[in-house]
Amino acid sequence: MAPKADTQSAGAVAAADASSQFSMDPLFHILKVVPYSFLRAPRLRLKIPSVSLPSAMTVFSLVLLTYFMVVSGFVYDVIVEPPGIGSTQDPATGAVRPVVFLPGRVNGQYIIEGLSSGFMFVLGGIGIVLLDLALDKNRARSVKVSYAIAGISSVVIAYVMTTLFIRIKIPGYLR
Amino acid sequence: MATMPASASDLLKSFKLKTKQQELLIRVSILCLVYILAFITRLFSVLRYESMIHEFDPYFNYRTTLYLTENGFYDFWNWFDYESWYPLGRIVGGTLYPGLMVTAVLIYRILRFLRFAVHIREVCVLTAPFFASNTTLVAYFFGKEIWDSGAGLVAAILIAICPGYISRSVAGSYDNEGVAIFALLFTFYVFVKAVNTGSLAWSLASAFGYFYMVSAWGGYVFIINLIPLYVLVLLITGRYSMRLYVAYNCMYILGMLLAMQIRFVGFQHVQSGEHMAVMGVFFLMQVFYFLDWVKHMLSDTKLFQAFLRITVTCAVAVGGIALGLGMVSGYISPWTGRFYSLLDPTYAKDHIPIIASVSEHQPTAWSSFMFDFHILLFLFPAGLYFCFKRLSDATIFIVMYGLTSMYFAGVMVRLILVATPAVCLISAIAVSATVKNLTVLLRSKNKVVQTGSTKGSGGSKSSSKALLDQSQPFQKNGAIALLFGAFYLLSRYATHCTWVTSEAYSSPSIVLAARGAHGNRVIFDDYREAYFWLRQNTPQDAKVMSWWDYGYQITAMGNRTVIVDNNTWNNTHIATVGRAMSSYEDEAIEIIRSLDVDYVLVVFGGVTGYSSDDINKFLWMVRIGGGVFPVIKEPDYLVNGEYRVDKGAAPKMLNCLMYKLCYYRFGEMLTEYGKPPGYDRARGVEIGNKDVKLEHLEEAFTTSNWIVRIYRVKPPNNRCNIHGQSGTCNPQNLGVCLDLLGLVDVNLGNAPTKPCCSLIEGLVDLEGAVCLCTAVRANVLGIHINLSISLSLLLRNCERKVATEYICGP
Repeated sequence: MAPKADTQSAGAVAAADASSQFSMDPLFHILKVVPYSFLRAPRLRLKIPSVSLPSAMTVFSLVLLTYFMVVSGFVYDVIVEPPGIGSTQDPATGAVRPVVFLPGRVNGQYIIEGLSSGFMFVLGGIGIVLLDLALDKNRARSVKVSYAIAGISSVVIAYVMTTLFIRIKIPGYLR
Repeated sequence: MATMPASASDLLKSFKLKTKQQELLIRVSILCLVYILAFITRLFSVLRYESMIHEFDPYFNYRTTLYLTENGFYDFWNWFDYESWYPLGRIVGGTLYPGLMVTAVLIYRILRFLRFAVHIREVCVLTAPFFASNTTLVAYFFGKEIWDSGAGLVAAILIAICPGYISRSVAGSYDNEGVAIFALLFTFYVFVKAVNTGSLAWSLASAFGYFYMVSAWGGYVFIINLIPLYVLVLLITGRYSMRLYVAYNCMYILGMLLAMQIRFVGFQHVQSGEHMAVMGVFFLMQVFYFLDWVKHMLSDTKLFQAFLRITVTCAVAVGGIALGLGMVSGYISPWTGRFYSLLDPTYAKDHIPIIASVSEHQPTAWSSFMFDFHILLFLFPAGLYFCFKRLSDATIFIVMYGLTSMYFAGVMVRLILVATPAVCLISAIAVSATVKNLTVLLRSKNKVVQTGSTKGSGGSKSSSKALLDQSQPFQKNGAIALLFGAFYLLSRYATHCTWVTSEAYSSPSIVLAARGAHGNRVIFDDYREAYFWLRQNTPQDAKVMSWWDYGYQITAMGNRTVIVDNNTWNNTHIATVGRAMSSYEDEAIEIIRSLDVDYVLVVFGGVTGYSSDDINKFLWMVRIGGGVFPVIKEPDYLVNGEYRVDKGAAPKMLNCLMYKLCYYRFGEMLTEYGKPPGYDRARGVEIGNKDVKLEHLEEAFTTSNWIVRIYRVKPPNNRCNIHGQSGTCNPQNLGVCLDLLGLVDVNLGNAPTKPCCSLIEGLVDLEGAVCLCTAVRANVLGIHINLSISLSLLLRNCERKVATEYICGP
C-alpha cells in the first residue's frame, strides 16, 4: 500500500543511503548539497510514527456513536435550537409542568426526547449484536448465557420503550 | 392392494422436487408475492378518492408528459413554455430531467401497441408503484450479491412496504423520485457486481444505469460522489485490484459522456465543483495502475520506494494545482447552494430563504425516523456489525452507502427516501444472519442424532444422545422462542407500515379530507373547483398571480399563464410577487399592473381550519421579498417578535394585500358555534380588521369552503389621455381625483398625489394653477374642497416650478 510502505521505509532508506551513497531521489540530492554540506545533521533517535488502519470493530464503535447522534436528531437540534424540555402551564393551579414530548407534529422534538429515543434505538441494535456474540462457539457457556440474556432483555426493553414513546408523541398511533 | 398405492406413490414421487428445485420454487413464489404486495400497498388513495395526480410537482411532470405524447420527442426537447414565469417564459427542454416523462410515454406506447386503450393519466398515476415493484427485485439481487439469497429475500420484503420509500412513490405521486430510486439501486447493484466480477459487460451496464439516473433526478450527484468515496476507501484499506480498475474507469468515462447528453446537466461533469471528486479519483486510479506496473517491471524494491515517493508527491501536487487553477479562474464553479446546505446545514437558514422555507427541507427529528423506519432502526446497527465482521468489497460499499445516506437523511427530511434502500439492505443482513444462527442451533441437534443413528452401534448412540440431551432441549426451545420473537417483531413492522401508508402517505394533497361531526369523511375539493373555474370563466390569455406553490397546478389544470411556479429558478421574480403580496394595496397594484396580471389567487384556511394556507406561509413571502427589496422588513409585520392576525397585530399586517384578499368579507362569517363572526379557525383567533375594502381588485370567485379565493384586477380609471397633445383642463375630473384620494387637506402631505398630477400634465404651470383653482372653486358633485389649499404645495408635489405663492382668487 503506497503511503504505509512509504512512511515505514523512509527511515530505512535514509539509513541505507548514508551507506550506499546511491539514491534516485532528487530532493535528497538537493538537501545533501544545500544545507547539509556545511551543517551537521544531528543524531536523533526519533522515529516517524507508523500510522496503521484501525481494526474493524474500532471503526464499528465510532460508527455506532455517529449513528446515535444522527438518529437522535442532532442536526435538528443544532439548526432549530429547540429547548431541552418543554413546559406547559396547568390551567387550574398555575404551576408549570414539564412536557417531554413535543406534541402536534411528527417532525419536531425537544433535545432530551431525541437523545432518549436515540439511546433506545442503539440499545436495540446492541441487543441483537449481543445475541450474535452469544451464539459464538468459542466462548465459555456462562458467558454465552449471560450475553444471550442481556441481548434478549435489551431488545425487549428497547422495543417496548420505543413503542411507548411513539404512542405518547402521536396520539392517534395505530388507531 | 399393493399396485394402486404403489402407482399413486410412484406418481407422487415423480412430481416430488429435489431440494434445490423446492428452494427455487419457494424463492420465486416469495418474489412474486412481494412484487404484487409492493404494488397494491401503494393504491390506497386510488381506492379512496380517484385516480388523480397528487401534490404540486407532479402536475408539471404530467403536463410535460401530455405535451410529449401529443407532440413527439423533438418538440418536447426544444419546448419553450410561454405560459409560466410570465413575462420571462421557461426553456422546458433545457431545465428538466426527462427520464420520468420518457419512461411513462414508453410504457404508454407499449400498452397502446398491445391494444390496451389506456389514458396517459392512468399510466402516470401508476408509474411509481410499478417502479417500486421493480425496485424490490433489484433489492433481492443486490442482497444476494452482498450477503446471500436469504438476505436478498428479506431485503425485498422490507423495501416493499417501508414507509420511507412509500411516501414518495404512492399511486398518483408522479414525481422524479419514483423512478429515480429504482435507477439508483440498479446503478449501485450493477456497479458492485462489476467490482466483484471485473467484467466489462457489467461495467457498461453500470454506465447505462448511471445515465438513466442522471436523466431521472438531480440526486444523481449522490451517486457521482459516493462511488469515488467508496473507491477511495477501498484504496486506503488495500483492496486495489484489476477488477476495481476496470469497473471504475468504464463506469466513469462512459457514464460521464452519456450524462452530458442531458441538456440540463450539460458540461457540469467537467465544470462543476460537485463533480470534481470523481475526476480526482479517476486520476488517482491511473497513478495506482502506473505504480503497479512499474513495481511489476522493477525488481529492485529500494528503487521502487523512491520512485513511489516521487510519483505520489508529483501526482498530488499536480492535482492540487490543477484544481486550484480551475477554481480560481472560475472554470470550475463552486458547490451550488442546494448541495452545499447538505454539508453545512446552517447555510440555507441564513442565506437562502427559498430553500429554507420548503417544509421537506427541514432537518429530521427522531420521530420522523421512527415513523419511516420502525424496526429497521434497531436492525441497522446490528447489520452494520455483521458487515464489519465479514468485510468484503460489497459489504464495504453497502456500509458506506448506509452511513452517508443516513447522515443526509438526518440533515433533510426528504432524503430519508435515499437512505431507505441502504437501511433495508443492511437490516436484511441483520435479520438473515440472526435467523440463520438460530436455525443452525435448531438443526444442529437433528444432524447429530441422524449421524448417531447411521452409526448403528446402540451404545454410542445412546451415550452421545444422553450427553447432548442435557443442553439441547433448552437451546432448542430458546431458539424456537427467539424465532417467534423475531417473527413477532417483523409482523409489528408490517402492521406499522400498512397503518402509516394508509393514514399518512396516501393523501392526494389536492383533495383534502377531514372527519365530520359524526365520524363520516368529509371531502374538500376546493382546489380543483377553483382551477376549473379559472379554466372555464377567464379569457384565454389571462395571467394569474399567486404564490409559487400553486403555479404548476394552475398551469396544468387551469390552463392559464402564471407569474411564478414551483420551479423557483428566478428568485427576483418570486421576490417581486412576495413584495406585492406584502405591500399596501396601492403599492401592490402598481407591481400587479407592471406584471400585466389579470387575476390574483390566494389560499385561505380560516373557514375550514386548513393550516397550510397563505396566511401561514406569509412570513416566508415577507422574508423572500425582503431579501431582494429592502423596503419589506419582517419586523414590521410582527408584534414583539410574534406573528398575529387578531386585534393586536401590526398595522402593516392588518392592511397588506394578502390580509385583505384572505379576509375580504370574512368578518361577517360565522365559522364556529359559540365564537364571534370572523373567527379564524386555522389560527384560532378572531381577526383584527373585519372591515376590509378593496379598491383595485374585486372578488371574482370563492370556492364553497372558502379555501381558494380568486380576485380580478380592475382596469384603471378612465382619465383624459394627454399623450402628445396640449393639455386641457378638466376641473371636474381633477376635483373628483383630488377628493377620492383624500386630498381635501393637502397640508397633511402624506397621501400620494402623483396620480392626480397626470390630469394637469400637459398644461404649463400657470394653466395648471388656474385649473386647480377652477377645480377648487367648482364645488362639483357636492364635493367641498377647503379653500385653504396651498396651491404651491400641491404643485410642488406634482414637481411643477412655482415662482411665487399662488393663491386662488375669489
